[in-house]
Amino acid sequence: MTAALRLEGVAHTFGDRVALDGFDLDVEPGEVVALVGFNGAGKTTALRVLAGRLRPDAGSAGVLGADPARLSRERACQFAQVVDTPLVYPELSVLENLRCAALMHGLSRADLDDAVRLSVSRLGLGPWADRPARSLSQGNRQRLGLAAAVVHGPGALVLDEPTSALDPLGVVLVRELVQGLADEGCAVLVSSHHLDEVSRVAHRILVVHAGKVIGSLGTGGVDLEQRFFAMVLADEDHRVPPAAGREGKP
Amino acid sequence: MRSVWTTAWAVELLKLRRSVLVRVVTPLLVLGVPLASVGAVWLARRPHLPGTASAKFGAYATGPLAGAHLEVCGQVLSVAALGAGGFAAAWSYGREFTEGTAGALFGLAVPRVAIAVAKGLVLACWLAVCVVTCVGVTFVLSVAVGGDAMSVGPQIGVALGAGMLAIGLASPFCWVATITRSPLGTVGVLVGLVAVTQVVVVLGAGSWFPYAIPSLWAGAGGPEAAAQITPAALSLTAVVAPFGLALAGRAWARLTNV
Repeated sequence: MTAALRLEGVAHTFGDRVALDGFDLDVEPGEVVALVGFNGAGKTTALRVLAGRLRPDAGSAGVLGADPARLSRERACQFAQVVDTPLVYPELSVLENLRCAALMHGLSRADLDDAVRLSVSRLGLGPWADRPARSLSQGNRQRLGLAAAVVHGPGALVLDEPTSALDPLGVVLVRELVQGLADEGCAVLVSSHHLDEVSRVAHRILVVHAGKVIGSLGTGGVDLEQRFFAMVLADEDHRVPPAAGREGKP
Repeated sequence: MRSVWTTAWAVELLKLRRSVLVRVVTPLLVLGVPLASVGAVWLARRPHLPGTASAKFGAYATGPLAGAHLEVCGQVLSVAALGAGGFAAAWSYGREFTEGTAGALFGLAVPRVAIAVAKGLVLACWLAVCVVTCVGVTFVLSVAVGGDAMSVGPQIGVALGAGMLAIGLASPFCWVATITRSPLGTVGVLVGLVAVTQVVVVLGAGSWFPYAIPSLWAGAGGPEAAAQITPAALSLTAVVAPFGLALAGRAWARLTNV
């Protein structure tokens, strides 16, 4: 099966800071893959490459078999991403934002109303449908951003910290949304700091450290946090700073 | 399936309609400029005008009333439309970066070049409606205060032309807002360009400098300076609009690290 989302040997530096250092991953259709790692590990940079928002110095990225920086209309209609700020404008109402997002994702007028209604229902946005987005709480704005991203029923989805501002109900709604999309065949790549949360929704959990994927964690078991730290510390032990290496030589 | 252009147009038009910018700038252009124009001519024709004001408004102290109203309107519009267009471009393009939504415009079925061009066209059409309305309101106000409605065709034409050219001159600020990724930075460039224009006019090269041409053509430099504005200079000024929009579209198509 061809990966719907793929990064292969991706490397990138910002000035002299290495952000990605041979980053590899693939996500098959119907699969949910989670990226976990410390702040600055390279998760968001990798997601930005997949969204076409950053051209890497080396390596290649693929979304539905195409370069994400040059997606055709046909493929773009099947893609969605929320990395940092979603496609939400504060002066527009919830419904207006969703209609605009649906049109920008390539939905026809005929399909617009049904898609918006479904998206409002999936993210529980009904009570705020006619409110301007600027009047929503941070959590509800995050729900609106997710609703706007998936209003067209994507086949490949990239999400960065989708539950960071959500209350427990919002977390459940997003979990159901991701599981529902995966059941429909969507490939989902999601980054998160919440190990327990990703273990509930992901098929695979990839540990990111120092700009690359250093291993994967099984989703079962109760010691996920311990295994995560053990993997990161083991990777750290393998990285000998050049100065320390020189000192250590006889 | 709707075309990417009509989709981008519809979305950008809705964003503009809901904006504070439209609610503030539209009345300033369609009411503020006509009132200022009629008021300036009324002041010019007052007896015992103070020395400074007399030097400034003396040219309008005599002659047909309606013609004077519309000439002042054209002069004010040539600056006001540029300022409004520059601020609008700074807001429309720059906000996507300061609010973080520029990144969300990647991977969409509507390409970024269509979004960038639609932004510019929506702003241009809104400002064009404002300019036409402004000249119309000035004409009606002029007639209401005793102006002669006949024989003002040339002044109406110049006022409309100067306003439209000034709108077009704002289009490079769409590009400036994109490459600076900053509304405030764009406004800074706008202010700087107005200052440079003043210097160019003082040095006597205004008749070939696009940013000076609309106001000189409208009579801000006097009848002699207006007579020096050739059709070729007006054409050069008009070319700035598509050039600026093309630059902005190209910059949006090539955006990265967002």
